[in-house]
Amino acid sequence: MAFVKGKDPVTVRLEKIRVVRKNREGVEVDLLRDISFSARSGQITAVIGPSGGGKSTLIRLINRLTEPSSGTVFLEGKEIVRLDPLQLRRTVALVPQKPFMFEGSVLDNLQRPFVYRQEPLPAIDSEEVRRSLALARLDLDMAQRDARSLSVGEQQRVSLARALITSPRVLLLDEPTSALDRRTADALAATLQEICRSQKLTVIMVTHDLRLAGRVADYCLYLEGGCILEQGSAEELLTRPGSQQLQRFLAEPSEEEA
Amino acid sequence: MESQTLENLELVDLALAYGLVLLAVALARLKRIGQEGQMLWASVRMVFQLLAVGYLLHFVFAVKNPLPVIAILFVMGAFALQVMGGRIRRKMPHFYRVMGTSLFIGCGGVTFLFCTVVVRYSPWWDPRYLIPLAGMIIGNSMNGASLAAERLGAEMRERKDEIETALCLGASGRQASETAVQTAFRAALVPTVNTMAAMGIVSLPGMMTGQILSGTEPMVAVRYQIAIMCAITGAVAITAFLILLQGYRHYFSKAHQFVGE
Repeated sequence: MAFVKGKDPVTVRLEKIRVVRKNREGVEVDLLRDISFSARSGQITAVIGPSGGGKSTLIRLINRLTEPSSGTVFLEGKEIVRLDPLQLRRTVALVPQKPFMFEGSVLDNLQRPFVYRQEPLPAIDSEEVRRSLALARLDLDMAQRDARSLSVGEQQRVSLARALITSPRVLLLDEPTSALDRRTADALAATLQEICRSQKLTVIMVTHDLRLAGRVADYCLYLEGGCILEQGSAEELLTRPGSQQLQRFLAEPSEEEA
Repeated sequence: MESQTLENLELVDLALAYGLVLLAVALARLKRIGQEGQMLWASVRMVFQLLAVGYLLHFVFAVKNPLPVIAILFVMGAFALQVMGGRIRRKMPHFYRVMGTSLFIGCGGVTFLFCTVVVRYSPWWDPRYLIPLAGMIIGNSMNGASLAAERLGAEMRERKDEIETALCLGASGRQASETAVQTAFRAALVPTVNTMAAMGIVSLPGMMTGQILSGTEPMVAVRYQIAIMCAITGAVAITAFLILLQGYRHYFSKAHQFVGE
């Protein structure tokens, strides 16, 4: 297994993570087993693999929406269980796969994180609002629109802008392009890469889209049945898969996530 | 209370009234709705339960000690709790603890204040007043409480995406569940508010009707009705508020994770 070399510091590290849940019959099953990897700042880490393999659970561990049964998650060298969870989620933003829009305008949605933190709300012409909309490839006049009347693709981008507006250091993305057409997805991928490099952001992205992973990811994990079967530089993993499972996964016609 | 004006019903009169139930059963039979057995059984239960309560109250009213009276109130509360437990299928975490303490503080507090500050009869535990008043307050609060609990559970399930999105944006559990709690509180208050608004026009409340039938001056009965309706509203609101205040917490872990049921 080849690891990405580089001087960029490790910001997120998972060590021997195991997540156990009871299924409907009350039997304990492993959602994730023996998960260890590191993600560096200024890099995009892609998590690929078939549905039900534990990809979403994996990123939920990093902003502590889910608690591991055993193992440790580190953020910049500190165990996240020692940090204040609300503070942690300011540093580590997660954009869920299904965008949820709160009632009101796009601007109201962008102001939400400030409402929760009881901080002054950024105005429509503020630097924060302009910058976050631009990063998510949305026009500024979008801010006045009713958020719930937007298309799913637009909502997905508002959801990204909302996560970026508070300048997190780690960005977790669950299928960020699932509702976007190819052109918008490509544009968004380019922006992601740009902000990741310029802001030294650590991006961890769950995706079905192998094209996207190949295009933007520096590092790649292949997750199946709750285990990391392979990890390494994205280029190597996607072009020279080692395991039979990954070879089969790469050969399959790309299925779109429902 | 002056009850000379009220005609006592003889057994023969009751038997005649019971004939109306038999008529209802006959009509049900005619339409073959298949509920005749249940209807008969319910009517028999009604007769025996009310007779039993009548005898019980007859003895309790003679009691000159607050303890047995208060014990009866607790039994009423426990029954209310059991009814709520049976009515709500998907219970919130720590259901009985949350419901029990809320009902105790909401109903107990309001009943006590009502008896000591508003009605001011003495002794304050006089069972002739305390038991029917507490019964009305507990009965109404029970409805409000089960609405609050049921709605909170439903909102928490339906709004899972909303709640987790809010948590991701740095919300605390309390902030993330604010809309769910508001909706549940509103649902708990609706029946009481509707009853107040319709009172006297759509419905003549049972307590007032009973007092008038037993010979009380209507204006006196109306004043009692206004006072008890205010007490019920207060008790329903306090009980539901306490349920939601404690209830939402049990859906979140200490680390502000949404744990569900």
